[in-house]
Parts: sequence; structure tokens; C-alpha cells
Amino acid sequence: MKLTPLHDGFVAEASEIDISNPLSPAEVEAVEAGMDQYAVLVFRDQPLTDEQQCDFTRNFGELEQTLIAQMTKGSERRLQPMEMGDISNLTASGTLRARDDSRRMYALGNRLWHADASFRATGAIYSLLSARVVPSKGGNTEFADMRAAYDALDAQTKALIEDLVTEHSIAFSRAQLGFDDYGSGNEDKVRPVRHSLVRTHPVTGRKSLYLSAHIGGIIGWPVPEARAFIRDLTEHATQPQFTHAHQWRVNDLVIWDNRTTMHRARRYRDLEEVRDLRRTTIKGTTLTAAQVPAMAAE
Amino acid sequence: MHITPLTRNASGDFAGEVSGIDLTGTLSDGDIAAIEAGMDRFAVLVFHDQRFDDDTQLAFSRRFGELEISSGGEMSKPEERRLKLEMADISNVDRNNRLRDADDRVRLIALGNRLWHSDASFRAVPAKYSLLSARVVPGKGGNTEFADMRAAYDALDTATKALIEDLVTEHSNAFSRETIGFPPEAYGSENQSKLRPVRQSLVRTHPVTGRKSLYLSAHIGSIVGWPVPEARAFIRDLTEHATQPEFVHAHVWRPWDLVIWDNRTTMHRARRYDDLHDIRDMRRSTVRGDAMTAPQAQAA
Repeated sequence: MKLTPLHDGFVAEASEIDISNPLSPAEVEAVEAGMDQYAVLVFRDQPLTDEQQCDFTRNFGELEQTLIAQMTKGSERRLQPMEMGDISNLTASGTLRARDDSRRMYALGNRLWHADASFRATGAIYSLLSARVVPSKGGNTEFADMRAAYDALDAQTKALIEDLVTEHSIAFSRAQLGFDDYGSGNEDKVRPVRHSLVRTHPVTGRKSLYLSAHIGGIIGWPVPEARAFIRDLTEHATQPQFTHAHQWRVNDLVIWDNRTTMHRARRYRDLEEVRDLRRTTIKGTTLTAAQVPAMAAE
Repeated sequence: MHITPLTRNASGDFAGEVSGIDLTGTLSDGDIAAIEAGMDRFAVLVFHDQRFDDDTQLAFSRRFGELEISSGGEMSKPEERRLKLEMADISNVDRNNRLRDADDRVRLIALGNRLWHSDASFRAVPAKYSLLSARVVPGKGGNTEFADMRAAYDALDTATKALIEDLVTEHSNAFSRETIGFPPEAYGSENQSKLRPVRQSLVRTHPVTGRKSLYLSAHIGSIVGWPVPEARAFIRDLTEHATQPEFVHAHVWRPWDLVIWDNRTTMHRARRYDDLHDIRDMRRSTVRGDAMTAPQAQAA
């Protein structure tokens, strides 16, 4: 496998590897080492079935079930495996979603900078996104390097945030867009969890900002002050020098580390063009902060 | 009176520093016309060493039109106010001049000023000029940043210009405060009618220069005819575009600065400072606009 850096220590293109077939332990290690160094890896021309994508993903840990699958009846899901995140604008029958479709409204939250599954107590490690159909224009995914963003903070801000703990919930990101239609029976899935605002990567030892649109508060701070501060930090962390825009081609697979990056989707003509991306996600294994109450959203 | 440009972008000059005029003294109609011409060109004018008290600031402000009652003033009880109704209290002290506590309701409402906005865009006839006078400034932080909505409009691609040309947005103080988790109910039942959304055109044309600008504000909660989440995501994208560094000027305050900005062609925001320990006492007078930018849904 060969790695070509795309953005000064952040994001690399991985070539000379076929990820549709079983990987050797050395290849898995090389991918992981590349992830530790670059945080985002782009694989081009990797046509995958859902099964091949799940098999490749399992090299790196246990798969998580997507929240939206957990909140949706089987008959309403286009992709049946609960582990396959449906990042598309299609209904269960394969037609384009209507403008006021509730599922479309929910998906618009992906246009806010976030780390996947930060609303779970253990967060997520890697996300793997495979492009099956892409629109002719727009719909880029942008990534931001939370290690470089942390490093660039002044000493006073680093001291201020060192021990801060934030509260994350899917309801906070969606409320920013005026969406709160989760259906009954899902109240437990929107209960906030706690995360450290500064986290340390277990392998590299590098610190990073753990930011996400799912943050709604900072423990011990008045809510408006916390939100204004998190907005300022997010603006800092997503400046052009920390970000990379990925322009999708069919059969791209992109892996990112949710512990060290944020990402967001950009607008495209989703009422007229199909964008079918499929996401698998590696479950986090540790808490970044103690939970209160102890029974937080799993 | 002499004006030095402070920034320049692809569309022209933005923000000017004015010297050679004492605004607290007697000004001729020619002086006022020169200031207005400067505002039309630069959208933001900075004057140093202008030793206003509230009365002289209000008198100077009235030369540009009728003054607004501040929203903070009209939503508070007389015994809670430190200043006259026409004088918006942009400070972190209470009426006894004591620093406000971390969880003080007025402090939490004021945090909404850290979001990019245009003053009084939540009124059917929104504000023309704002005039902000610095009486006490903190040791560090607390800048005010301004963004040029004419240059931001000019820099949009053709497809986006066509998309937004006839869009109408809904503005309310409740929307900006909700964004930072301050619930509308906390304004009190007596103030709920003041939170009713008003409509504004997303693209407006300056009555003198004829230049188009983006009329954006944190007070926007929706676009008429659009699903709310789609409107909010789109307004966020436009706001991000419009507040890129090339369109922005940061003003670092000194005591006795007076800054005037045109709310029809700019957005602004306050930056963080150590407000639990350092006093920042600024006073804002606001000149009313003279027309609605869009028909209202019902008689307001």
C-alpha cells in the first residue's frame, strides 16, 4: 500500500491495495498506521458490495448499529443490515425523497460539522464511507483536523478547556436546524452523554479537540455561554488551513477517525439527483468522561 | 473631515477611519451629508476621541433620523434599566454598576450578540444606522467585527444569486436566542408579542448607491416556502460565505471611539472577553430605517 499526502500531515490517498478481498495482518496494520498519521484515508476505485464493505470494516473493530436504523422500522429501511448507514436521498423503494420528508430533514443535520456518534457514551472510532452513486455537482464531504486545531490554540485557551466536559445529544444538532421529530419510543436515544472536550489519541498520544454539532452544553457553564464558546471553538477549528474537501467519485471509500476529526456534507441538488453513499462505523471502546447518570445512551 | 480606508475587498472599500471632526460639537448640514456619503461608500466609519455623554450621543444620532427604542429597553421594567429607552445598554454591569453574575438573565440574552447579526432585523421596518460609543473597554478581547454584505453578495456565483433573488426570510429575536439555548419563554409572557417573526427580503438594494447586499442575521429562523431545517442549513452556509476573512474588519476598541455602521449593508458581532472580571461599557443609539424590505404576512 502506498500513501500520498493530500494536505500537510492530514488526509492521504491510499493506493496499491485491493480492499474488496481479505487483508493480511500487515495490510491492516499499514492502514491503521496511515490512519494514526493522517486521520483520513482516501481509497479510489474500490467497488464494494455491502458485504465486502462490512468485511473490510471488521478488520478494525466491532461494527456499530446506526442510530437512524435503531429509530426506524425495518419496513422503512432501504438497507436491511442495521450496521449499514444509509447516507442517501432515497426512500425504501428507491425513489428520491420529497422536499418535506422527515428523514430528509433529519439528514440535513449532516451539513453541520460533527464527529459521528459523539452522542454515544463511547463515541465512534472509524467511519468508512463508500460512494455508490454521486451527484454531478456539489455534495462534497469536508474534513477538519482536530489535532492541528488543538495545537493552534493559544496557551490560555488550552488551559481553560483542558478539563472541560461537554454534553452531546443528537437532539442538540437537530434542534439547531429546528428539527425535533424523532417519533415516540426514542426518548432514551436522545438523552445527553458526556465527553471530554480535549482528548488524547491512544496510539499517537496527540491531543485533539473533541467538538461536534451534537454538543449542547458544558458541565458547570450556563447553556448560552457554553454554546457561544463552542461556536467560537468550532469556527477556529474549521478554518481553511485545517480542512480538506473530498470531491466524491463513484467507488471511492474514505475512512476517517472520529476521535481526531470533524466532517460535514455540503449541499447538492438532492431533489433532482441521486447521491448514494453507505457508511459503516467502528464502535468506540472507552468513555472519554465519566457519565452521570451512569446509565447513559449506549 | 478626512476618511482613510481600513480594508479593501474585490468590491471596493470597506470601513473607514475618520479624522478632523468633533462630533460632540455643532455640526453643519454639510458635515452630516459628508458623514452620510462616507457611510454609503464605507458602510462602517470609525471616529476616535469623541467624548460623548448620553445626551450628546442621542442629539448627534438624531441628525440621521428618528431613533429606535432599544429592544433590551422595551423588554425590561423601568427599575431594571440603567439608561434611557433610546440608549441600548451594551455593557456587563447592572443599574448599580456592578458586574453581572455568570447566570444573570440579561448577560445570557446579551451573549446573542456574539452571533453575526444585523441590528433590529426582527422589526418590520429594520434599523438604518447603529452608533456605538465606547465609555469603558476591557483590558483584552471584546472586539466588534463587521462583515461587508455588499461584497459578500457580489462574490456569490450566478446560480446562487438567481436562487436567492426573490427569497423572503423570517426574523425574530427568539430565533437567535434559541440558537444559544435561551428559550423564548424566558423573555416573559409580557414580551411574547415582540418575538413574533417579521419578513425581510434576503437580497436588498441600498436606496442611495443602488448596490445589492445580502440581508443576513442570526435572527433569521426560516425562509418563506422552505422547510425549516433546509432554510437554516442554507442560511448557515450563506453566513459562513459572507463572513470569510476577506469581507471582515475587526475593530479593536479604545475609550471614546464611536463607530457607526449601516445595518442595511453589514453584519457585526461581539467577541468574547473576560466579562465576569473586566468592565465593558458601550452605549448604542440606533436610527430607524424608513421602509419595509418585504410585505408582512399579516398586519403587525
